[in-house]
Amino acid sequence: MTAVYSSKVDLQAREKALKILYEKFREVLKSIMDGNPPKLVIKKRTLSNTVYDPEKKLLLLGDATFERSFLDLREARKFMQTLLMASIIYESLTNGEYPTIRDLYYRGKHTIRYRKLPSKAIGEENTWEEQSESDSVIRDIEVFTNVLREEMLILSKEKGKVVGELKIRSGDDVIDLSKMGHGAYAIEPTPDLIEFVDVNAEFVLVIEKDAVFQQLHRIGFWKKYRAILVTSAGQPDRATRRFVRRLNEELKLPVYVISDSDPYGYYIYSVFKTGSITLSYESERLATPQARFLGVMMTDIFGSDKLRKKPYLTEEERKNFIIKAKERDIKRAKELREYPWFKSDRWQLEIDEFLTRKVKLEIEALAGKGLKFLSDRYIPEKIEVGDWIV
Amino acid sequence: MTAVEEGFKAISPAEFFYKNKELAGFSNPARALYQTIRELIENSLDATENYGILPTVKVSIRELEKIPEGGYYEVVVEDNGVGIPPKYVPQAFAQLLFSSKYVLRQSRGMFGLGAKMAVLYAQITTGQPADVIVAPIKSKHIYSFKLKIDIKENKPVILSFSVTSNLHGKHGTLVRLVTLGDWSRAKQRIYEYIKRTAIIAPYAEIGFRDPEGNYILFERVIDKLPPPAREILPHPHGVDIETLKDIIRAKASKPIVETLKESFQGVGETTARRILEEAKIDPGKKSGELTDMEVEVLVKTMKNFKDVKPPRADYLSYLGNEIITAGLNKVFEPEFVYATTRKPSVYEGHAFIVEVGLAYGGKVPLVEKPLVLRYANKIPLLYDEGSDVVIKVLNESIDFSVYEIEFPAPLVILTHICSTKIPYKGVGKEAVADVPEIEKELENAIRDSLRELRSYILRKRKEMEEIEKAVTIAKYIPEVANSLSKIYKVDPREISVKLLEILNSRLKTFKIDDLSNVVV
Ligand SMILES: Nc1ncnc2c1ncn2[C@@H]1O[C@H](COP(=O)(O)OP(=O)(O)OP(=O)(O)O)[C@@H](O)[C@H]1O
Ligand SMILES: [Mg+2]
Repeated sequence: MTAVYSSKVDLQAREKALKILYEKFREVLKSIMDGNPPKLVIKKRTLSNTVYDPEKKLLLLGDATFERSFLDLREARKFMQTLLMASIIYESLTNGEYPTIRDLYYRGKHTIRYRKLPSKAIGEENTWEEQSESDSVIRDIEVFTNVLREEMLILSKEKGKVVGELKIRSGDDVIDLSKMGHGAYAIEPTPDLIEFVDVNAEFVLVIEKDAVFQQLHRIGFWKKYRAILVTSAGQPDRATRRFVRRLNEELKLPVYVISDSDPYGYYIYSVFKTGSITLSYESERLATPQARFLGVMMTDIFGSDKLRKKPYLTEEERKNFIIKAKERDIKRAKELREYPWFKSDRWQLEIDEFLTRKVKLEIEALAGKGLKFLSDRYIPEKIEVGDWIV
Repeated sequence: MTAVEEGFKAISPAEFFYKNKELAGFSNPARALYQTIRELIENSLDATENYGILPTVKVSIRELEKIPEGGYYEVVVEDNGVGIPPKYVPQAFAQLLFSSKYVLRQSRGMFGLGAKMAVLYAQITTGQPADVIVAPIKSKHIYSFKLKIDIKENKPVILSFSVTSNLHGKHGTLVRLVTLGDWSRAKQRIYEYIKRTAIIAPYAEIGFRDPEGNYILFERVIDKLPPPAREILPHPHGVDIETLKDIIRAKASKPIVETLKESFQGVGETTARRILEEAKIDPGKKSGELTDMEVEVLVKTMKNFKDVKPPRADYLSYLGNEIITAGLNKVFEPEFVYATTRKPSVYEGHAFIVEVGLAYGGKVPLVEKPLVLRYANKIPLLYDEGSDVVIKVLNESIDFSVYEIEFPAPLVILTHICSTKIPYKGVGKEAVADVPEIEKELENAIRDSLRELRSYILRKRKEMEEIEKAVTIAKYIPEVANSLSKIYKVDPREISVKLLEILNSRLKTFKIDDLSNVVV
């Protein structure tokens, strides 16, 4: 019996992940014992196999697969690494551990000593050199088994934070997210093991910038407007995205996203909504197709005749707050313009506006105009009138 | 100005070569010692293999006294050849330009000079006579001579002669000379010469004791002799005025048509008559009555006569694939060996055959350009490499990269030209002139061999790639087996064995017998 303390949900998650790993890799053992060259058939994680599903409005992994055969000279090393990683994950699941991807890297790293032929000179090779190599096979295992790393209780750094009138069970504790003082609840790396106990909110507001999140938290925005306030502190990690998705899906709360008004900000929103290109295999569970882009929009800054929309900033304020777009911003905007999930009229209008004006604006600028403006006018008004993009 | 009367005089061949020793390769003590050894060894090999005897040759050099320019050496070469009839021994060893090889038959010797030059050089540098002991084949007696050369007269001087009985039925010849030499400077060449002789004559046993007391024995590795060289009539295309005059003088009373039929290969009644018709000579005319004009026209006609069979080559003594590869294997233990013998070809009325052997890898040293072993009528050619036809062909016509050979490479190229007449560049027999026909045959033979080597190299490269592939995969087997055993609690050794079986079943040219050969 393991002396390690473990919560019930963890135990269940472990059982489930162990079972799937066991089933999926059994094929390899069987084919070896039958005298056939072992191989793994895995979906390709390439850009060309990343497809946008307009129905589900998600970036998904396509159906193209590749064979990782042990007898294939180019794949032999990766095959070995994949099995090595599978066995390490399997063992840590059995032992009730919570490894990080770095732990897994160190645990599997060792030197293979072999004899080169025909010279018989001794050669040395590490099972993997860089962590990027072991990370890569972790992704392969996620795709191959259809089990995400969180579900295999692999931890990563916590980045996302949340506050609001929400009670959750994490492990064996119930936590009230409205009683975090000036701090906030750090979204745990395994958000699927969180149980929602009680909620009193009308919507979820996701702020890309941590600083603005703190400002809104301090002035009690979430209390006043009955919101659950979330920040991803930059590019959202997997846990934050999964958590937001659960808030939307299970608690039926609308999700609004605020980011900088530039192509990078827009893309962060789209990662919440549709998924990311590099990790498209997770979209199905991590993306929130209903997420709404609240701002900051180009048309918030300049207004729009077409939309009969007045600008939120005066001529004077614009002069002070906007920043000239750089070459790479322009280039990125042009790329964005071609992504299928930005092909809607509304988005094209925003991007075109960016490309003609060639300026950008950070959310902090709106807070700079006045925190009250941001919290009591800009946000509630836009939600009220429905000035958001899906 | 007063007119000066020039003093005319004739000198004997002995006197001529006494004054021009370097022409025959006796230019200094080191070179002379080397030349002495090779002349005697070549005579021994001629006296054995041409008569169906597997050669056994014993060579020894002993230092008698050191002097500033080198030293005095006793050289002894003994063979198991047919020997020499005693009545010819004095001339064979002490009269220049006396030979049994002045006939159209392939042999190492051809000038009637070699043995005599060695005797002459010994005589003028040490004053010592040559000892020659012969046991002619099937003779009941053994004959011993002490000989000197009368240089002025070019005549043998017999200092002593004795006969003993041949109790054991031995046969062969022993020559002993005391001569000036320079062992330290000749050493490398002499060893090289003997080694190269052993390569081309793996059917010979050659023992050598050097002045430092070292003994080296090149054992016989093959019992097969090359086909013996046979004497052949000259070919009409190879005739010249003097040869023809010699012939008609010997058959003066015969009708010229008969003389032609009897004296030339490929010439029968019809051909003889057609040649004479073209030369406008009466076939019935007595050979001795031909005018100088007629002889000249006849030679021209014969040289250009098209409708005659090419010179026969079946009387040439070539080595063949088996002997060449045996020789190369014996000395180099190469990983690849190949030999080819070209079909006979002809230059200026002489048939010749070119043979090429290649040795690659194994104990062949890595060299910046191929190690070339040149031979002509089985004689190793060591000096004057730069002016030889083989080197010309290699330098001008062969691009080794085409054959996947990158230098430094472990490559030996052996070339052998055999003919009743080798176009040597000098009587020292060190370089062959660049006759276009020979050049072409050499080029073809070398290309042909290099193509074989190329496919070997490519095949081997494939094999190496497969070995590399096998190791690349095999080294991961324990890792994969351990990983699976952790999940499924199966004995990892069992998985390893299976995986190795699967890997081996996919390998074509190479198998890993045991995983411990790869994994440490
Ligand atoms: N060891 C030997 N056994 C039998 N006969 C020999 C031996 N050595 C020499 N002779 C005979 O003596 C002759 C003269 O030898 P020598 O070396 O002087 O001339 P060669 O071999 O005919 O021509 P070359 O000058 O090209 O060597 C030979 O032709 C051969 O008949
Ligand atoms: Mg000779």
